[in-house]
Amino acid sequence: MLELRNLVGGYGKITILNGVSFSIPKGTITTMIGPNGAGKSTVFKAIFGLLKIESGNVLIDGQDVTRQTPRQMIAHGVTYVPQGRNIVPQLSVYHNLELGGVTAPDQDKVKQRIETVMDQFPMLREFRNRKAVELSGGQQKQLEVARALLLDPKLILIDEPSIGLSPVLVQEVFKTLIRLRDQGVTILMVEQNAKAALAMSDYGIVLELGQTRMHDKASNLLVDPRVGQLFLGGHVEEASPADAH
Amino acid sequence: MSQFLQVLLSGLATGSIYALAAIGFALVWQAAQTVNFAQGEFVMVPAFFVLIGMGFFGMPFWLALAFGLALSMLVLGYAFKKLIVEPILPHGGITLIIATMALAILLKETVKESYSAEAQPFPALFSNAPMNFFGAAVSIQDILNLIVSLSIVVVLTLFLNRTRTGRSMQAAAQNPAVAEILGVNVKRMVLYTFLINAALASLAAFLITPVYLAKFSNGETIGLIAFIAAIVGGFNQIRGALVGGLLIGVLDNLTATYVTAQYRAALPLVLLIMIILVRPQGIMGTSEGRSV
Ligand SMILES: Nc1ncnc2c1ncn2[C@@H]1O[C@H](COP(=O)(O)OP(=O)(O)OP(=O)(O)O)[C@@H](O)[C@H]1O
Ligand SMILES: [Mg+2]
Repeated sequence: MLELRNLVGGYGKITILNGVSFSIPKGTITTMIGPNGAGKSTVFKAIFGLLKIESGNVLIDGQDVTRQTPRQMIAHGVTYVPQGRNIVPQLSVYHNLELGGVTAPDQDKVKQRIETVMDQFPMLREFRNRKAVELSGGQQKQLEVARALLLDPKLILIDEPSIGLSPVLVQEVFKTLIRLRDQGVTILMVEQNAKAALAMSDYGIVLELGQTRMHDKASNLLVDPRVGQLFLGGHVEEASPADAH
Repeated sequence: MSQFLQVLLSGLATGSIYALAAIGFALVWQAAQTVNFAQGEFVMVPAFFVLIGMGFFGMPFWLALAFGLALSMLVLGYAFKKLIVEPILPHGGITLIIATMALAILLKETVKESYSAEAQPFPALFSNAPMNFFGAAVSIQDILNLIVSLSIVVVLTLFLNRTRTGRSMQAAAQNPAVAEILGVNVKRMVLYTFLINAALASLAAFLITPVYLAKFSNGETIGLIAFIAAIVGGFNQIRGALVGGLLIGVLDNLTATYVTAQYRAALPLVLLIMIILVRPQGIMGTSEGRSV
């Protein structure tokens, strides 16, 4: 569904990605893990047209989409939820959602989608007229996820959704992602919370120094001692899907 | 009492025109981190565009106004963004501030050398005849100036809040990175902001020049007042810039009438210093978050 071929790129003259290659199948969740500064967020920016790509290719359903703009990526059915806070602070919750469909030619349909998405996140309906900045951090993240669903994406790139969320809310977000996956949406996620994230994922990718180090079934990575040492705090044997709950 | 009402109304009238310039100033600051020290000249120049339209091209007044508005949007909106802000902003805010100061001088000198150094009469949009208003003799011009500028502010606010384009402009100003990943055409929204600023400056020019006459140096006071009104109001807010503009207009008139006209020019500065000391975030401003 999504394929990266030997992607090289970075910021200005600094190269951060030194040949990232992987492909992820449709309707699966893949979690990308790696140490701080490995270039995980940079991979997302590269896919979404926010990075200067020196060489290599990005393909979606076999179609070359390297160096396309965010607007074009949205048109291909990709949405991106970056790390950190990504709301428009002074606009209402409703109008933040509406922005998720700003590129759609049929705005009546966007209105319907907003209703559907608010059904999935009742909190957003309750606070629809509040300014987004007045929501709590966890509510803002839910708003961002909801907004990313507005155009019925095929592929969601989601960067560290759990930061700043309580464990309960993290489970809520993960449940949403699993539900989307079951509906056929493809998800690529970056998570610090590696154990819990791998436990709910189909595949895992380990990125280090801007290169793909490992790419395997999530269940295999969970029990791989190398991964355990590096990123899971060394307690690999404890890592079981049960930890996610 | 009737004199007070008269002074108050004419202060509000002038203040509401200042507010137009101040709002444009705040919008451009938000959307493109541009502190436009040529804002006063942006109010001075459109009057000369109108005079050129009438004198040089023989246009009737109303057509010359439309011509002045269009030319201002082209020169002070589009060209200003493309030729000055876009190339210079990457070099830093301070560099851009200096560039706008230089632009102010350039506009002033160009008008002075190529048109005239003398104040030019400018046709009034509205009659200057006095009208009885609760016992006070106020000029129709003041009342209509106030009504027109407040209507412009209302229309602008409705546009920014009630239309999708307006909300996309707010998104582009408040969080350009997010606006971009959602597919908002951020560059175009910023351009709209510059066009709106030029339009606001022109409308302010059309309302205020009949009072002050058209002179190359008109921008000096107006620019300073717009800047101070924007700061007094909280730099980020339309509402703030509006209140700041009105406040300066009224205080200016009150002190000139009841205290002394001598230190009139110093008043906005005194207000500025007081605000900075007491409420650095401005009257309406909040210390966090940018808003339109
Ligand atoms: N805008 C930028 N300009 C220049 N360098 C950047 C920029 N953003 C990130 N970098 C650098 O690129 C490298 C990779 O950053 P990136 O954000 O992709 O890492 P990450 O794997 O997502 O890390 P984290 O786990 O901390 O989020 C880091 O060395 C970082 O300093
Ligand atoms: Mg990151």
